[in-house]
Amino acid sequence: MTDLFPPFLLFVAGALVLPLIPNGHPRSLAAVIVPVISAYFIWMMPEGMHGQFLFMGQELTLLRVDKLSTVFGLVFCLAAFLALIYAWHVRDTIQQTTSLLYAGAAIGAVFAGDLISLFIFWEGTAIASVFLIWARRTEGAYSTGLRYLIVQVGSGVILLAGILLQYVDSGSMAFDAMTLGSPATWAIFLAFGVKCAFPLLHNWMPDAYPAATVTGTVILSAFTTKLAVYALARGFAGTEILIYIGAIMAIFPVFYAVIENDLRRVLTYSLNQQLGFMVVGIGVGTELALNGTVAHAFASILYQALLFMSIGAVLFRTGTAKASELGGLYKTMPLTMIFCVIGAASISSFPLFSGFVSKSLILSASVHEGHYIVWGILLFASAGAFIHSGIKVPFFAFFAQDSGLRPKEAPWNMLLAMGLTAFLCIAIGVYSDPLYALLPYEVVYVSYTTTHVVTQLQLLFFSALAFAMLMRTGIYPPALKSVNLDFDWSYRKLGPALIGAVRYVVRGIWGGLIGTGLRGVNWGFAALQRAHGADGLLARAWPTGQMVLWIAVLLGATLLLNYM
Amino acid sequence: MSKDMKIPETEPSNLPWLGRKLLWLDSIKNVDRIVYALFIVCAGLLAADFMYHKHSYLDIEDIPGFYAAYGFFMCAALVVCARALQVLLKRDEDYYAPKDVASEAYPEDQMNRETIND
Repeated sequence: MTDLFPPFLLFVAGALVLPLIPNGHPRSLAAVIVPVISAYFIWMMPEGMHGQFLFMGQELTLLRVDKLSTVFGLVFCLAAFLALIYAWHVRDTIQQTTSLLYAGAAIGAVFAGDLISLFIFWEGTAIASVFLIWARRTEGAYSTGLRYLIVQVGSGVILLAGILLQYVDSGSMAFDAMTLGSPATWAIFLAFGVKCAFPLLHNWMPDAYPAATVTGTVILSAFTTKLAVYALARGFAGTEILIYIGAIMAIFPVFYAVIENDLRRVLTYSLNQQLGFMVVGIGVGTELALNGTVAHAFASILYQALLFMSIGAVLFRTGTAKASELGGLYKTMPLTMIFCVIGAASISSFPLFSGFVSKSLILSASVHEGHYIVWGILLFASAGAFIHSGIKVPFFAFFAQDSGLRPKEAPWNMLLAMGLTAFLCIAIGVYSDPLYALLPYEVVYVSYTTTHVVTQLQLLFFSALAFAMLMRTGIYPPALKSVNLDFDWSYRKLGPALIGAVRYVVRGIWGGLIGTGLRGVNWGFAALQRAHGADGLLARAWPTGQMVLWIAVLLGATLLLNYM
Repeated sequence: MSKDMKIPETEPSNLPWLGRKLLWLDSIKNVDRIVYALFIVCAGLLAADFMYHKHSYLDIEDIPGFYAAYGFFMCAALVVCARALQVLLKRDEDYYAPKDVASEAYPEDQMNRETIND
């Protein structure tokens, strides 16, 4: 059936075998080994189309190996490896197996060469990942998981509709570059957009990611959205509308991230924002821009995971990730604090950290292609990312006002995972050549020029200055125990309210109609009863004498009329 | 934990080594020093703009201190706008449902609530 062993099967096999291994260190070790072996397989796969077979008359391609799919496959293995070390202490079989299945489905999707396999893996990620939310086992998480599943499966259904239309149009199921225009391509584009959290399609993410378990959020942060970035880069590179969608994505969540109280939700908004940079890169579509998108996806998977890990460790030790209840933890969790700061510096693109060498490719590409306003927006978004994720998250968790919480440092496995991730964030920032070598096109770009370093430092330090002054003057929004309305208000409040209103009106009209109708019917029956009932006018037995009398009256009247 | 609750005294000897080394951050005087240091760094970076040849694509980049001013004013504007939005968008934690992820406690059996005093 296939000439190469598809890496996703390793994850499926791992998920099947895992429950048979004694729960504890052996099982955790087995889980961590799976992505390592898988990465080795991916590394050794020769470029080209492999794993092709006929299925119901369609040729399916399980393995399309080229530079674009390989780099995503590798970074997914890396993310799974780090997240599974972080989750070493988890003894919940459901989380252990679904984590592997989820990573496997994402890797399967990345190598899918046709739309049918893409669809199957696409839905696979949706179904496997929802268990990481339900694993919290609370009522709130259950409802959130259902909402997440509806959106994710919905994305797959739209994708399937697009695939079928595409097949009717072109007779091909191949997953190649597409041009927006037909309903088919728009449907596929929309399906990718839902998973990529385009503006107004994004709500599933800030809703669901903070609802998952401590380890679940770390795993969730890596795969679904970056799979969508990959799919867009494969299918819609150079589609101009993506530039504007990406630019809106890069600023819209910033405002929410500044006022949000739950730090894991702050990080989710920042994740959404980082996706905006990647989407702009795809829209620009030049070699430099696509390299930037892939590099930024790679770097962002790592620093975002690191940030989620550090706040997850705080949640694990204190039971809360809310800015309003945290503060002063640097004294007792100094290592976690340092790892958090490294993640923060990376997302803020400080020189020597990973964001600096990846984000700049996208910014340069947008300027080279003449998108000056978009460049200005991205520059603002960079400063904004520094404000909410670079400063706010570490500041409110580890510094700010002393909360009185004295949690112990994170457990060894979390520290190890954070340490490795932090090392990679710095390593990429200091020595970017290995990352650049993995990118789909040859990189002719030098990020460490005097101009770039000085201007970036100016941007960041003056943003920090603004933060310090706003904090000291009390203008910076305080951390309040609250939720903030986002677009999900439309389907969590407005939708149900509209349905309630419609129900009220329909019930009123229905009730009125039924009431009037029933009254009419009752009146009719009453009239019939009066006429034909037991004592009715027409059913009574009339005396003969009365009849004769009436006939006499009638005859008399007729005679009278005749004579007149 | 409410802010007005008395914060328990912590023996520095209970803290991890690195935490003890960072205790100087607790003093307001030292925080002021950090802010002054930030002023100096910012001034230095602004001065640096006059000391090298900038490779720019846009005319606007050639204005000395463009990036500094852009970062400062855009962030200030961002925070002020966000503060206004907060007034509009803020709701109670149980706004959507009485049992929402935002308002319910994280399940105790899924964490390891150890403190340094344990």
